[in-house]
Amino acid sequence: MRSLAPARLAVILAALLMAVPACDKGPARGEAAAKLAAGADTAAKATAEPAAAPGTPYGAGVKLAAATSIAEILGAPETFKGKTVRVEGMITDVCAQRGCWMELAGEAAGEKLRFKVDDGDMVFPVEAKGKYAVAEGVVAVNELTGDDARAYAEYQAKEAGKEFDPASVTDPMRIVRLDGVGAVLRDQK
Amino acid sequence: MKWRGLFRLVHRDVGSFCVALTLAYGLSGLAVNHLDDWNPSYRFETRRVELGAIPPGTPAELEAHVVRALAFDPKHVRGHVQDSDTAFRVFLVGGEEVALDLRTGSATHKTVARRAVLFQVNALHLNHLKGVWTYVADAFAIALMVLAITGMTMMKGDAGLRGRGKWFVGAGLLVPLGFILYVLQ
Repeated sequence: MRSLAPARLAVILAALLMAVPACDKGPARGEAAAKLAAGADTAAKATAEPAAAPGTPYGAGVKLAAATSIAEILGAPETFKGKTVRVEGMITDVCAQRGCWMELAGEAAGEKLRFKVDDGDMVFPVEAKGKYAVAEGVVAVNELTGDDARAYAEYQAKEAGKEFDPASVTDPMRIVRLDGVGAVLRDQK
Repeated sequence: MKWRGLFRLVHRDVGSFCVALTLAYGLSGLAVNHLDDWNPSYRFETRRVELGAIPPGTPAELEAHVVRALAFDPKHVRGHVQDSDTAFRVFLVGGEEVALDLRTGSATHKTVARRAVLFQVNALHLNHLKGVWTYVADAFAIALMVLAITGMTMMKGDAGLRGRGKWFVGAGLLVPLGFILYVLQ
């Protein structure tokens, strides 16, 4: 051990750790680099995504070829409950604290579908607002009681940094969202 | 070389090697511990702007109006969304947005910027990178355990585990144990 000069030993240690990425054959390298640069319009696109969905992949990416419209899902959520679907749309909001959800806009005014993932599973950058997302997930329908709806709305308001009036939520609420499996983000449709 | 000598050597060199990441993870730990009070990775700024009366038009025309009125570079515009009959938003690169009230012409211009250093150390600490970084972080976690074990045992006599060391190790154990027993039960 003493025969190794300290500088040489330190360089070997660093080189060993740096060699790990070199051994990695998966798409994670391009993905990681793109995620670091997330938000920049020049995000790396050299990933192993299918040609149908170019862009920066998150999670398992997108496997389904055909997209379901957000309007269709919101119009008849029970029909899609538990089914894996692919949706597409502009990202109108992103979880600012943890990047654990993003909201996709449908074609009609006010039509939105939240794409939710477990914390840390995928992390969507705040700078992704306005980008185009192709997302795949399982449709979830949650019926909230009045109290739960109030608590949910209060949490949402706090997260968005908005004031909340408890009296503004009295009725039960139905939440339709996509439990995320994977997504691909890109600059344009 | 006796084992204590080896432990001292390992502790010294592994400790030095881990200085950068220990500081980075420590800094990030402080930042994300207070997630309820602030955003540790981004800084947001909002300013109110008045656009005056909004001429009727298609969403594309509304977007063009906002871009002209606020003198944005059209190349920086990503698109728009109509949230309701009265709420319209224009998105720009970098997560910037203008939220416009179509009735009054009042708008909020929100900008977002990454916190220098914190954004990067949080991404490392919270493993946003996934992939190979996971293994680097694993190696770092193991190195921290090695540092704890070698640090605890590398001294002998009164300065070691049998002397004052046992009190410090015990005190360090009591803190988390106390929280587990009294808070988590």
